[in-house]
Amino acid sequence: MIIAEQLRKTFPARGKDKARVVAVDEVGFEARDGEITGLLGPNGAGKTTTLRMLYTLMKPESGRVLVDGRDVAADAEAARRALGVLPDARGVYKRLTARENIRYFGELHGMSRAAIDARTAVLAEALQMQDFLDRQTEGFSQGQRTKTAIARALVHDPRNVILDEPTNGLDVMTTRGLREFLRQLRGEGRCVIFSSHIMQEVAALCDRIVVVAHGRVVAQGTADALRAQTGHDNLEDAFVQLIGTEEGLHA
Amino acid sequence: MKAMMIVWLKELRELVRDRRTLMLSLLMGPLLAPLLVIGMAKLGESKARDQMEQPLEVAIVGAEHAPNLVAWLHGQGIERKDVADPDGAIRSQAEDVYLRIDEGYGKDWRAGTPAVVELVHDSTRRDSAIPLQRLESALQRYSQQVGALRLLARGINPGVGAPLSVSRKDLSTPEARGATIAAMMLPYMLILFAFLGSMQLVLDTTAGERERQSLEPLLATPAARGAIVSGKIAAACLVGITSLLLTLLAFKLSAQFASGMSAMLDVRFAAMGKLLLILLPMLFIGTTLLSLLAAASKSMKEAQSHMTWLMLLPMLPIMLLAVNPLKSEPWQFAVPFLAQNQLIQKVIRAEPIDAQTWMIYLAAGFGLAALLWYAAVRRYHQEQLAISG
Repeated sequence: MIIAEQLRKTFPARGKDKARVVAVDEVGFEARDGEITGLLGPNGAGKTTTLRMLYTLMKPESGRVLVDGRDVAADAEAARRALGVLPDARGVYKRLTARENIRYFGELHGMSRAAIDARTAVLAEALQMQDFLDRQTEGFSQGQRTKTAIARALVHDPRNVILDEPTNGLDVMTTRGLREFLRQLRGEGRCVIFSSHIMQEVAALCDRIVVVAHGRVVAQGTADALRAQTGHDNLEDAFVQLIGTEEGLHA
Repeated sequence: MKAMMIVWLKELRELVRDRRTLMLSLLMGPLLAPLLVIGMAKLGESKARDQMEQPLEVAIVGAEHAPNLVAWLHGQGIERKDVADPDGAIRSQAEDVYLRIDEGYGKDWRAGTPAVVELVHDSTRRDSAIPLQRLESALQRYSQQVGALRLLARGINPGVGAPLSVSRKDLSTPEARGATIAAMMLPYMLILFAFLGSMQLVLDTTAGERERQSLEPLLATPAARGAIVSGKIAAACLVGITSLLLTLLAFKLSAQFASGMSAMLDVRFAAMGKLLLILLPMLFIGTTLLSLLAAASKSMKEAQSHMTWLMLLPMLPIMLLAVNPLKSEPWQFAVPFLAQNQLIQKVIRAEPIDAQTWMIYLAAGFGLAALLWYAAVRRYHQEQLAISG
């Protein structure tokens, strides 16, 4: 369970204009266990910054984040243990095999070798990565890299999972497989948050949708609630109306 | 501590798989340093020997005014040759030195007044020092001989004209005398290799890791930032120490093959151990400083552009000492680069180093490294660090 309350984050402006750029303002939502929560918004809406505050990489200027009821600012390390994170940056170590990449993160989480091996087998099965598990990751396809990055993010069996645009750059088949995997995580009673700028994907997967535009939450609720709120039957039309522009929607 | 070991092991494993980088960082120093130092020393030595022993050919302008002098110089191994434009030849560095005999030489000679000869050279050319010295001392001897003969012809003891007999007694050790050229090059080479030897690995594991987008996931794990940086620094230090050991070993081995090398350098194991102890703080300073700079730069390219001034740092004390030689004083052993330079000189010259000097040096060196390490750890706590691109 992840709760974001009134998050605000600004960045120093570049150039002569000294006003700070407000990346995220007053963002609040609740992501429950056993549900998939989608963070939907055009490029540059503040999704990645919001997620970074959730997984303690950035400190919010105001507001707070609760993971399983505990404030992450009080104990960032405990929060990181309770979270599995696929950040926007998902580089893997190309001189290590996929298995070694996963093992490295398992070790950093303080897991025993046996526990890591068992968990790797489970994840490799679920993500269908047996074929390339023991190859060095140099030359991996985008899909293989993403799967490796997801497996290493989930090696410590976290209750909460945060994925930043997980389907970015993946082909249709891999995307379908990944969706299935996210549903499986939900079925295991985990709290899953993922961000996307793709309407259909969010509609197909999410129990709750949080629409973000210009650093603010403009609407949240189930897909049906959003349709009702805007009066559009088509979710894409509802989305366009909510963010107030078509800009970035198809990017 | 455990997380540090995990990071350390992983960095080393990655490096070992990257054969080419590993070979470059491990073997560059050990192969290049002895070659350069020994090569320079040999070249300088044989050049000096050539210039001292071979017949010296010098242009003499106005030789017709002093045939006796020219004949005498010939007897001393200084040959006359013809050069069309001697001043131009000196300026264009074709000639080292030439001798001009004044038109009035014959007249002055016969009158018994000092006859004028002139040595023309370019003092900024180090190469002209030995020929100039040879020519000057030959002329000096001629002058004394003829002067003594003139006094004898007048029935006076020539000793009257020489109230002082100046002789020199050189107290430098033979080791120190042999070490001059090596002493200029060697500290710089050793300090540079210790200082920047781990450069590749440091840049790759810090700036490179961010550029390859794997830093953000790493920082999202519960591993403490301090442990992550320390693991990376420790891995780079291990590579640096290995490279340093190989370099010193290479010096020891090449001393057995190159004759005269052992006269030039103290290569006993004790001396090598001292060099290692001197270079160890330098290695830590270099690795932590590079980690700090690499963490503060936005990209690998920016991090690499620091190399230019970092390469110059070890040269500063050498330049300073060349312009303004310093007496050895305690404060110098607390100044990085200068301290290493002075201490390595002492080791090469087989001079003893007292306990107080060691204390000052090691405390200052490791203290600075600890400070830089702390700054690098602080830097890893900043949130901009994690965000790539």
